[in-house]
Order: sequence, then C-alpha cells, then structure tokens
Amino acid sequence: MLVDFELIERARSGDDSAFNQVVQAYRKRILGTIARLIGRPEDVEDVGQEVFLRLYYSLDQLRTAEVFEPWLYRLTVNAAYDYLRRQRRRHESRMSDLSEQQVMMADAAAGGKRNVEEVRRTKIRETVDDLLGKISEEDRILLTLKEVEGLSLKELEKIYHVNENALKVRLFRARQRVLKAYEAKEPEVGG
Amino acid sequence: MDRMKDRLDALWVEYREATPDPEVGPNFMPQLWHKIEARRVETTSVFRRLAKICVMATVALALVMSAVLIPHNNNDEVFYSGTYVDALAAEHSNDYVDVLGAADLR
Repeated sequence: MLVDFELIERARSGDDSAFNQVVQAYRKRILGTIARLIGRPEDVEDVGQEVFLRLYYSLDQLRTAEVFEPWLYRLTVNAAYDYLRRQRRRHESRMSDLSEQQVMMADAAAGGKRNVEEVRRTKIRETVDDLLGKISEEDRILLTLKEVEGLSLKELEKIYHVNENALKVRLFRARQRVLKAYEAKEPEVGG
Repeated sequence: MDRMKDRLDALWVEYREATPDPEVGPNFMPQLWHKIEARRVETTSVFRRLAKICVMATVALALVMSAVLIPHNNNDEVFYSGTYVDALAAEHSNDYVDVLGAADLR
C-alpha cells in the first residue's frame, strides 16, 4: 500500500484533500499500468483521469480500506477495457497497424533524432502492441497484468473476483493465443 | 515451442523495461478536479430535470383526469336524479293500479 488505511477512510468519508493525496500517491503507478494496457501514450492521462473519476464516485461503495488496491486495479482494468473497445470500434489507422517500413518513414519524416536504444525500445513496444492487438481485449488486459505488471494470481483473483483455477485456465488460453500470434509473426521478428 | 515460449517471456520483460511509468503532466490534477465538478453538475442537473419531468407529468395527469371526470360527474347527477324505487314505480305504475283494482273487486 502506498498510503495508509486512515487516509483512504478519510477520502471515503468525503474528504477531498485526502482524496487528492490518494491520487497523488497512485497516479504514476496507475498511469504506467494504463500505458502498458492500452499502448497509446497520448491517451494515457485521459484514461487515468477516468479511473480516478470513477474512484471518486465509487469510493463510498468500498467495503474496507484493505481492499482498496484491488478495487483501484479493477477500475483501471475496466477503464482500459472500455477504451480498447471504443478504439476497436473507431477503426483508426494506428502506428502499430502500419508496416515497420512505414513506421520508419514516418519517424524519418518527423525528423526525430532518436538514439539506438530508443529505436530498440520503440521496436519492442510496437512488436508487443502488435501481438496484443491480435488477441481480444480481455486476453490483452489479463496477460499484461500477469506478465508485464507482474501481479500474482492472488492479486488477480481479487481484481477479477474469480477463483485461482478459473484464472489459470483463462491465462493458459490467453498465452496460447498470443503464442500463436507470435509464431505467425516470428519470420518478421527474426528477419 | 519451448524456445518460442522463452522468447515470449523475454519479450514481456523487455516490454516492461521499454515502457516505464510516464511522468505525470502538470495539468493532470486540475483537469481531474474539473471533470469531477462537471460530473457533479451533470448529475445534479439530471436530478433537477427528472424532478421537473415528474412535476409536469403530475400536472398533465391532473388536467387529464379533471377533463375526463368532471363531465362524467355532471352526467351522473342527471342519471341519478331519482332513486331506484322511484324509477321502479314509474316503470310498473300500471301493475300497481291493477293490483289495487283487484283488491277492490273482492
């Protein structure tokens, strides 16, 4: 926990300055999680504000301060899921939908002087975003929370409100699907 | 297959490193509070609108009911101007006379 229970209790009872402190304590971590869940840096703050907005108006439903973090993660997952669904509906032309050559041309056109490390990181982000874009939003979020955020099964149980066995099955299936997508992409990755 | 799994696991780790937690912009908190306030106003105006709709519906219902029921009440007054016994007597006035007449014959 990044804050003590007493602060959460105060925020729950309507203390706006306590709520402010809670947001300030968690915003960086939550924005990082959102960035990895949605893969679009330009929309991270918007989705993050949506998470804290939902938190503000649902804090009174929180049973105890002990379950605050899973609650916040659940709100984060729901907001990311809503965002990804909206994006899919919009059919926007995304950078990750373009070929690597197009991306490089776009980068060159932007005149960015990025160093080798930044180029490598960008390529990794695009590879993973591309892979995650090939599976459902549910699988994407679950895998990101487990594999990238490093949440334990116990933590995921609290977020998803399902038992460990059901989670293991869902994780196994999601891994299989992403592995299949990775295998299909492997010639590109290797080349 | 195992090689692919290992590569994928390594890719997750690299992805985590390649996407550090972003710096929070200076407008994050002001914008958040602005959105909170906007939602509050929106919620209040929704309740206000609901209350207005309820009041208008009540008034409309009252008007309709008065328009429907008031003429009926007037008709009822005309319809029930006499009692049931009076109406019965008027219908069978001849029978009554016959009965009396028969009594006289005896």
